[in-house]
Amino acid sequence: MAVKKVYSKLGEKIANGEFILTGELEPEKTTDLSHTIEEAREMAPYVVAANVTDSPLGIVTINSMAATHLIQKESNLECIWQLTVRDVNKLGIAGMMMGAHALGIRNVLSLTGDHTALGDMPESKPVFDLDSATLIKLVREMVDKGSINGHEIEAPPTLHVGGAANPNANPVESEILKIGRKAEAGAEFIQTQVVYDLDKTIEFLTEIKKYKVPVLLGIFPMKSYAIAKGFDEFVPGVSVPKDILSRWKSIKKDYTDKKMQKEAYDQANYEFFKPFITELRKKNLLDGIHCMAVHYPRIFPKLMEVIDNAN
Amino acid sequence: MTIITTKKPFEEILSAIKHTKNITIVSCASCAAMCQTGGTEGAKEMAEKLEAEGFNITTVIVPEEVCDNRVMKKDFRQIEEELEQTDAILTLSCGLGVASITDVLAKKFPQIPVFIGTNTEFMGMTERIGRFYMRCRGCGDCLLNETGGICPITTCAKSLMNGPCGGMVDGKCEVGNYERDCGWVLIYKRLKELGRLDLYSKLRDPVDWSESGHQREVVWR
Repeated sequence: MAVKKVYSKLGEKIANGEFILTGELEPEKTTDLSHTIEEAREMAPYVVAANVTDSPLGIVTINSMAATHLIQKESNLECIWQLTVRDVNKLGIAGMMMGAHALGIRNVLSLTGDHTALGDMPESKPVFDLDSATLIKLVREMVDKGSINGHEIEAPPTLHVGGAANPNANPVESEILKIGRKAEAGAEFIQTQVVYDLDKTIEFLTEIKKYKVPVLLGIFPMKSYAIAKGFDEFVPGVSVPKDILSRWKSIKKDYTDKKMQKEAYDQANYEFFKPFITELRKKNLLDGIHCMAVHYPRIFPKLMEVIDNAN
Repeated sequence: MTIITTKKPFEEILSAIKHTKNITIVSCASCAAMCQTGGTEGAKEMAEKLEAEGFNITTVIVPEEVCDNRVMKKDFRQIEEELEQTDAILTLSCGLGVASITDVLAKKFPQIPVFIGTNTEFMGMTERIGRFYMRCRGCGDCLLNETGGICPITTCAKSLMNGPCGGMVDGKCEVGNYERDCGWVLIYKRLKELGRLDLYSKLRDPVDWSESGHQREVVWR
């Protein structure tokens, strides 16, 4: 679904068919958002917007709607509010959409959410009244029709809604057809799970082109060997290629000077992602990049270079 | 179909009945017998354990189906004298048994509390004795005709109507350490086998909880 009306900078860029770079912010189990806001300020010159996560891995953090609002207010960076259907029922979510609009939120990413059983409050009731597709449909009804369940909303919310996709899914066809459902529900953009495998990514993006939903590809530049290793071990369904891991390992070993080590990691990311992104743009498969490297905002200037040179 | 039950920890049972002395055991001869939580054997085992703890067993009955009010009315008529001496009933059946007994006893013996010695797990499909699987949750609005006979409400850990979710890795579910199959991948494979991926591709509405979210009855006469 193409963007019909524009409610945000992200919506505007999508409508204009501009290449988009989004970042990611991960508020933690705290009421103090100062570090996250600082990170938002650092990435603000480079990204169109940043996602604000909603208790990832089912580990409870500060509420994502509140965090999104405060980050936007304090940093002036537009955000994409991530909302999972894990914790709130349909009625609650509908109310949150109006609340989010009133707080100045204009983009929402619909997610299923990791199961409560995986997190730090496994005894919580998993809700999942909606799913990631029907949440999109709900938002579209509220925004486009100004109603909820057929009941008129006096001043309806205006939000852009996106969905997620996983190019690493196996069997991949089950995922591709699911994206079709999200497109039918009215998704205005797709942000993907992190990818490292170029061939698999090309195949996936080619397949989902038919749904005509702009795709921002998930990438994860790795700040250090420890992060790369942790990502490889602990993020389900994503594996970091062995050659990347060994290069990152040798950077850790070869550079004792912290500053030089940082530069070497940044350069290694640049060298990996440049051909990757260039190839995908050449094939006209990308509408943007979603960089999920939280706590690594210093990579954005390099990433901009990649994107600019990939033109 | 069997209502699958498992034994409650004995300490938990003792804690529930600790203020009583004279116990009547009602042990179901149907599902609970099959699950080896009730039946004649289960009743015998429980009676011995309770006696060892100093309880007095007033009587033991093994009705054909404890969940059937008619059966219980008949069986209780045979043991009215024993019930007069009973402080509590310990039921070895599913939860329906406790409801049935409580209803049937309500008029004559409202003072007798009814306890349960099992946990009711689910309506189970039986592969063989000792291997029972949940395949249906009895949601009241069966989707099986559209999902290749595999229930997403039951087999998807999140009961999603539009799966699989991002927690699926190589066809396995994030809940339970990727050991169980993802319900939506099972549905996808089955519908593919049947040449009905059109059904898989369909955007499904959320479950309508206005009917199924509360206690239900089927009354047709």
